[in-house]
Amino acid sequence: MNVKKHLTLTRAGIIESLQFRLSSLVIIAGNFIYLIIVYYLWKAIYASVDTESVNGMTFSDTLIYLVLATSLFGFMEMYLVWQMGRDIQSGKIILDISKPMKYMPFMFWSLSGSVVMSFIMTFIPTFVAVYFLTNGAIHLGINILFFLISVVFAIIINFSIDFFIGTVCLYTESIWGINIMKEVIVLLLSGATIPIAFFPEPLKTIVLYLPFQSIYNVPLTILTKSEMPVEEVFKMMLTQVFWAAAAMLISSLFWKKSLKVITVNGG
Amino acid sequence: MDKIIEIQNATKEFKVLNRREGLRGSIKDLFSRNYNIVRAVNDISIEIGSGEIVGYLGPNGAGKSTTIKMMTGVLEPTSGKILVNGNVPYKNRTKNAQEIGVVFGQRSQLWWSLPLIESFKILKDIYQIEDSDYNKMMEFYRSLVDIEPLLHKPVRQMSLGQRTLSDILAAFLHNPKVVFLDEPTIGLDVSMKSKIRVLIQALNCEKNTTVILTTHDMGDVDALCRRVVIIDKGKMLYDNDIDHLKNFFGSYRTLKIRLDEICDRDEKTLKEISQKLSEEMSEEFSGDKNPAVSTDNEWINVLVNEDKLAVMDALNFIQTKHTIKDMKLEEISTEDVIKKIYEGGV
Amino acid sequence: MKKKTIGFYLKIYGKILSQDLKSKMSYRADFIISTIGMIFTNISGFISFWILFKNFPSIMGWTYNEMLFLYGFSLIALTPVQCLFDNNWNLRMHVYSGDFIKYCFRPINLFFYYMSEVFDIKGLGQLAFGIGTLIYSWNRIGIHTTPLVILKTVIFLITASLFMIAIMNLAASTCFRIINSGYIMVMSSRFRDYAKYPISIFSPVFRFIFTFIIPIAFIAYYPGLVVLRPDEVPLLSWLSPLIGCIFFYISYKVWMKGATSYNGTGS
Repeated sequence: MNVKKHLTLTRAGIIESLQFRLSSLVIIAGNFIYLIIVYYLWKAIYASVDTESVNGMTFSDTLIYLVLATSLFGFMEMYLVWQMGRDIQSGKIILDISKPMKYMPFMFWSLSGSVVMSFIMTFIPTFVAVYFLTNGAIHLGINILFFLISVVFAIIINFSIDFFIGTVCLYTESIWGINIMKEVIVLLLSGATIPIAFFPEPLKTIVLYLPFQSIYNVPLTILTKSEMPVEEVFKMMLTQVFWAAAAMLISSLFWKKSLKVITVNGG
Repeated sequence: MDKIIEIQNATKEFKVLNRREGLRGSIKDLFSRNYNIVRAVNDISIEIGSGEIVGYLGPNGAGKSTTIKMMTGVLEPTSGKILVNGNVPYKNRTKNAQEIGVVFGQRSQLWWSLPLIESFKILKDIYQIEDSDYNKMMEFYRSLVDIEPLLHKPVRQMSLGQRTLSDILAAFLHNPKVVFLDEPTIGLDVSMKSKIRVLIQALNCEKNTTVILTTHDMGDVDALCRRVVIIDKGKMLYDNDIDHLKNFFGSYRTLKIRLDEICDRDEKTLKEISQKLSEEMSEEFSGDKNPAVSTDNEWINVLVNEDKLAVMDALNFIQTKHTIKDMKLEEISTEDVIKKIYEGGV
Repeated sequence: MKKKTIGFYLKIYGKILSQDLKSKMSYRADFIISTIGMIFTNISGFISFWILFKNFPSIMGWTYNEMLFLYGFSLIALTPVQCLFDNNWNLRMHVYSGDFIKYCFRPINLFFYYMSEVFDIKGLGQLAFGIGTLIYSWNRIGIHTTPLVILKTVIFLITASLFMIAIMNLAASTCFRIINSGYIMVMSSRFRDYAKYPISIFSPVFRFIFTFIIPIAFIAYYPGLVVLRPDEVPLLSWLSPLIGCIFFYISYKVWMKGATSYNGTGS
């Protein structure tokens, strides 16, 4: 694989994101306000019960989990479905397909630039803020490394799901509807809105068998539960690898098949 | 003749951000911004009487659209005075809008998903057109063009030509005093172009509507305008009768040729050969007869004044010196007219 | 030129709306998918809510039913911004491509003309969901239903709507000055998810901020209190209709100022 070719796309994405300096400030400010809301909300929630921990999660566990989930969401959301939908409707997709690079990797590397940028712009400041707000409740050790690897897998899974949904846009004009359904399902079932630990029993079991929890729940659990044995961590990451491979395979197959259908029909 | 549009010393300046290049430049931009003041329109004065069709010409970025935006009240001039139908457009935008019609580039102002007739009905309400006036106008439209098949078609499904036609009809619907047409024939085929020209002519004639027309197509100007205003780089170059201008460029045509010697489209050889050709021509044809030679992409352009020199003579002469692979004949372009004006000072 | 009264504008709006609905109905698949998407969003919101209260029976003295009331109240209050002012979301695109100029040539109010172009029918699903939730919690709490209470509910729902509309107007109008200000829209709309929580859970400083600077407390909490806890209504609740009108007016002015000073992109 020609690394340079791909890195050029990453670099172009970085430059593009930098053009908008005010928006970067706004994103940081917005995340900060959001952080405050979540902090007080859950402080109030925990103040209403007598016990220190609920479902094995203390106040600071929950806080770290939720805030980092949101900022993970912030940088993993690449608006891929929108872009694919728009390109399909305007016919611009033809140009991208005819580029001397496969469409799926092309999209992935094009978007990677903005992912790197928002990781720096949103995730790192949030992480630092959370670290100090909770008086260093996040353990800084080997778990950080595991976390970062796990995030890469999460990005791949998330991208593949988005790519799958984006492909659906070849069949329908309703980008908004499709995108919102995806977003809602992913956010709820991945444990981004409420930690999966809080889910009532049957629902919890079902969710753990779905690919979505690999996106948010796995990296965040690895990060926050530093006392977890290494075998457990590897087991979780193995599930991620499985889902990443499966999602990538299914998406690219679906794309290939759809493209054939579309070109045959001349749509 | 009453003045419908008065522009006095209008100037419009824009602040444009200088973006720096590359990764380092973007980071610098993040912290300090560097603005340039661009004068899009520079001290322009025009008076237009009611019922005139005025061709407003100039190359891309000359400031045509900016002037029109000022006349329609979208932009406020940085300095100077503009009156349209007695209104200051920027101050009374809605009042001004009631009495003008605008077709702006290829941006349809009609409701994208609605059939044309429904758009018309909404416009009828927006402009508060009386039933009788509306019906009369629709009757008149029917007598001009075959609009029945268009009326029940959503704008989104129309071809570019149909859409332009619809937009023009919509702009005239409320019987405005002035209509601004910005590049109405751009991208259309020859038959649609002539259809649109006939339509504009008829509407202007019947309703005595003043029409300001910007275009790149000298054919539009030739067919429609009695008066021409030319601007370039924001400054007014020319404001006079089309006949006066025609005296000057009317008999010019561009002979475009491609020579055998230039096979690899090398720009340098093209320049050299055109230079050589220019010298050969000036030896053969002296004074007024001598054609100007220039190049574009792959063609050599020989601008011939037909009053002095027959195109065939020029062609014959070139053939004695070079082998011509391909040729075509073109009417003079706006760009050439402007160049001529700069050179000759009309 | 005849005077343009409210009747004139209502008539035009009605006409555009009915035509728009007619043409939307011809895209049935899109309509159905979008509606399903909207229902998904609401159900997911409800599930998170339910999971939360499974773990925590009350939050700082606010019972499940009371919170549900605020939730339903906020859903209804968010309907107008969703249905009538949805074109704010497209503003950025129109401005960026230069298409916005086409709205400036009509002899009617620019803001009205722009917003009239889009009616988002999906919002009606949310309205139904909100009304259902409100009635359910209304009965469970046992609010004494008199004509006066109903009148109060309607007035304060409108008040709450004005705040959300104003926030979105302000967020959208940033795109007249900042390139790619989409983030601001996304962020502002995210605030509405937090509008449903009682402001009393915050510390005084943030109570002040969420009341006077980013007034999300007015989207459900202050107006809702009038009906929910009539014995402890703060002065701000009673003032909220007035503040709402002023705030909306300011946002309208800012939007218009942005639109008229917007210089088009080039050409």
